[in-house]
Amino acid sequence: MIVQLLVAVISTLAFAVLFHVPRQEYLYCAVNGGLGWMVYKFCLGCGIGVPVSSLWATLTLTLVARVLSALRKMPSTVFLLAGIFTLVPGSGVYYTAYYLIMNELSKCTAKGIETFKIAGAIVLGIIFGLALPQSWFNRLGRLTDKKEAAGKI
Amino acid sequence: MSKSKVHPRRENPVRKVQRNSKEILNLAVSMGEELLKNGGEIYRVQETVGRVMEAYGVQDYHVFVVTNGIFATVHEQEEDAGSMVRDVPLGDINLKKIAGINQLSREICQGSLSLGQAYERLEQCRNATPLRDVFLVLACGIESAGFCFLLGGTPFDSIFSFLLGLLLQAFLVAGTKRNVSKFLLNILGSALVTAGSLALYGMGLNVQSDRIIIGGIIVLMPGVALVTGIRDSFNGDYLSGGIRLMDALLTGICIAVGVGASVKIFQLLGGGALPI
Repeated sequence: MIVQLLVAVISTLAFAVLFHVPRQEYLYCAVNGGLGWMVYKFCLGCGIGVPVSSLWATLTLTLVARVLSALRKMPSTVFLLAGIFTLVPGSGVYYTAYYLIMNELSKCTAKGIETFKIAGAIVLGIIFGLALPQSWFNRLGRLTDKKEAAGKI
Repeated sequence: MSKSKVHPRRENPVRKVQRNSKEILNLAVSMGEELLKNGGEIYRVQETVGRVMEAYGVQDYHVFVVTNGIFATVHEQEEDAGSMVRDVPLGDINLKKIAGINQLSREICQGSLSLGQAYERLEQCRNATPLRDVFLVLACGIESAGFCFLLGGTPFDSIFSFLLGLLLQAFLVAGTKRNVSKFLLNILGSALVTAGSLALYGMGLNVQSDRIIIGGIIVLMPGVALVTGIRDSFNGDYLSGGIRLMDALLTGICIAVGVGASVKIFQLLGGGALPI
């Protein structure tokens, strides 16, 4: 489990580099990605299906990204984009194409629909995460402002 | 400010005419363009342009942003009316520039920057040295290896996934420099990874070729387009969100085509069915 977490963190870090995330935010991006993967694995372990697990993981990712964006004064996209890649249904696309070529159409349809379900779950996760009002997160941001101001004085 | 020297005009006694409205418009739209080009969401672009205009005292403006264009006017009814249209092709994601522009717009809103300083900062942000290609290639390799492992591959598979990831990103970097179309890059890129993995399998190595392929194609997956498309739609920009989601869908299909073509060729060469 710890190895999984570590690999997820490193993979997300690699994505952060690919997307030119500012250097001082690498760590936060990577931790967010690792967290998303852990939630996903945990949900799978509890016997929840892949789409719903993706939903919970994306929801966590989005919320954490918004909290981080308020605390770090960065657009939330910075933390969200790299982290979400651990959940994107890459294997779904592969198996769909593979079964299509192998002419196993029923398996192909099943995989194709599953891929769309996962994509839909990610969509819902992000939408739920975004639905919370921004003012809550702004309050968090102001908290750090005060701390900074206090530090300066 | 240099403009007012070229066209000296008397001050309007009733209402102070803003002579630099065109420059303000240009600054705001250029900032918006930079955001949009590097993968910002529509509402962020719209908000940034509006805030910059207001910070410099322009109240009467209109901005319309879609995924690949910005349209803006200032002071439509007045003497110094100005308008701007920018065509913004979809580009690579560069979150550093988005963060930089975001910071710049925050400082402008606090009123601490003059117009000239703001232009300077914008230039700095635009010309920020990009990461060296070597790092990108390395990152792609690490990412491929990581995902191969996460999705059930063995460390042995990950080594090959790492090498294929390096190859893929090198190919993508070279292709982008030669302005190869994005769809072709996706098809060829996924075909390349699949072919490489199947070749390893064909050589009799004990590898799980499917895990290696999935690790490799993750970098091509339209995750960014998906996320940005949802965020745009969620904010009511259905047109822009639709463009992004369509992009995501087409990219997904392109990847599938590339993988499929490679697998088919492998079959025709006598490789038979692959173990799943």
